[in-house]
Amino acid sequence: MKAWQIGMVLAALLLLAGVPWYGSDVLVQFGINALLLAVLAQGWNIIGGYTGYASFGNSVFYGLGAYGVAIAMVQWQLPFGVGMVFGVVLAVVFAVLLGIPVLRLKGHYFAIATLALSQVMTAIVSNVGLAGQNIGLVLPPLNNDPLFYELSLGLLTVATLTIWGLTRSRFGFGLIAIRENEEGAAVMGVNTTLYKVLAFALSGVFSALAGGIHAYWITFLDPDSAFDISLNVKMIIMAVFGGPGTVLGPIVGALSLSAISEFLSSEVTSIAGLFFGLVIVAAVVLMPRGLADMIRRLRKTGWRYFSENIRAHRL
Amino acid sequence: MDLLAQILVNGTLQGGLYAVMALGLALVWGVLNIVNLAHGAFIMLGGYASWYLYTYAHIDPFLGLPLTAAVMFGLGYGLQRGLLNLVIRAPMFNTLLITFGLEVVLTYLAQLVFSADFRTINPPYAGNSLAWGPVVLPLARLAAFGVAIVLTVGMWLFLLHTRLGRAIRATAQNLVAARLYGVEPRHLYAMTFGLGIALAGAAGTLYGTVSQINPYIGASLTAKSFAISIIGGLENPLGVIVGGLFLGIVESLTTLYIGQTFADVASFGILVLVLIVRPSGLLGKTT
Repeated sequence: MKAWQIGMVLAALLLLAGVPWYGSDVLVQFGINALLLAVLAQGWNIIGGYTGYASFGNSVFYGLGAYGVAIAMVQWQLPFGVGMVFGVVLAVVFAVLLGIPVLRLKGHYFAIATLALSQVMTAIVSNVGLAGQNIGLVLPPLNNDPLFYELSLGLLTVATLTIWGLTRSRFGFGLIAIRENEEGAAVMGVNTTLYKVLAFALSGVFSALAGGIHAYWITFLDPDSAFDISLNVKMIIMAVFGGPGTVLGPIVGALSLSAISEFLSSEVTSIAGLFFGLVIVAAVVLMPRGLADMIRRLRKTGWRYFSENIRAHRL
Repeated sequence: MDLLAQILVNGTLQGGLYAVMALGLALVWGVLNIVNLAHGAFIMLGGYASWYLYTYAHIDPFLGLPLTAAVMFGLGYGLQRGLLNLVIRAPMFNTLLITFGLEVVLTYLAQLVFSADFRTINPPYAGNSLAWGPVVLPLARLAAFGVAIVLTVGMWLFLLHTRLGRAIRATAQNLVAARLYGVEPRHLYAMTFGLGIALAGAAGTLYGTVSQINPYIGASLTAKSFAISIIGGLENPLGVIVGGLFLGIVESLTTLYIGQTFADVASFGILVLVLIVRPSGLLGKTT
């Protein structure tokens, strides 16, 4: 990375970090949501973008993180930080226990198995007494939006730095090798099972932390909102729209789509969801490798970029 | 014992409906290698189409079923020809994603156009039932079961014995060889997808007569259809009958002995277990 690029990223980070000082309350609240979604998209990027395992069940980690914080704070009267650690532990345990069998599946099978897991978790948690069953849990309120904003931004920064580190580490290269050719990677001496489970767990850690922050911010939690399946939709679209398997793509995707969706839902309600669907359809047809790839290539090929994408994949 | 018999009968009747739900998904998956995540949304659309036909044109849902299926066939043919054929050679994840996008679009369109109210197709005979010893057979459910079995077996015979059915099976086995024998893949893929969607529409009609439809039923119906296809395997359309009956009975038994909220846990738990133990289905060949 060149010096001016690092400078640009640092300037953008400072600009984002300053929002609570110069932005309105609404902007800060929108920011918390958008940043947490960006963390989820980055978490998905590790398992879906780099490792090539399209998880449709990362919302489970988010829900476990949220319940970790809620159970620790409400049922055991522990501080927030301990709750976050508890949530992460839950997510890692889940990733290892279920990851080992489920990560043996490939392609469609993995995607659907994870989708099924995320549906099962709602039903299971709504029967657990400790988690407040269907009624949910009410957390002690902490009315400090700037703090939650900075926490979310910090988490996103850590997640992004981790991924940046991945792209230049032995572990990251192993994951990319698994994505490109799993048998080949195994032959080259990559312990594929270990790498995949680690990637799944790592992506779970960030999703769980995002869930924990969100739970404490919203101060209320029930199974349907914690294990919201549409979260999977959002994080995957954001990562794919921005560019899966790139360091900054998912952030760009998450922030831009959140902004457009927020604008649409304030102007014309109920169109926002429709918009997400149309964006996925159009993105898959026109720019299957995401914004990052499009911006890089559009300069060279111009508008032919879109027709070339179609020509490459049509029957 | 009477209770158990009744539960088994309920599960069986439900299972027939499940079979026809999964049939379209399994067909499209087996031939086009697209896992249609919008399948449940198409079932929902079919349900609404029949509900409108019944409520405003007073056409009995069972008589209107061919009409609904024909409309859904046209929709499916157009979608495959105009949209899905554009991405058919893209990596698996892209086709998964585009049908996911379609699911979202259809769900929100349905919410805008049909409102979020629950609808049931309620013909005058809906409350009637037959008694068979101590077991009660609700007439609508029995009719839906009968239609479902006819459709599934009809599909099987169609694939085995007609020219188009042979072309579809040939394409599923080897696209290049099928092309050499004169199959035009763009048309054939669109026909197959159209058939799958027509079956989804028919399933939606039957679903609407025995249960409630609203714009959000799609996702869980897709997941169930997927579970059934996995349990039954993709090789043979009759596999979905086995998968559907299995799932219907397991769900009924779970509801009776453990509780309503665990019905989904049971079906998806079985799905994950089957995937892990036998990825090609309970009946499928082991590779």
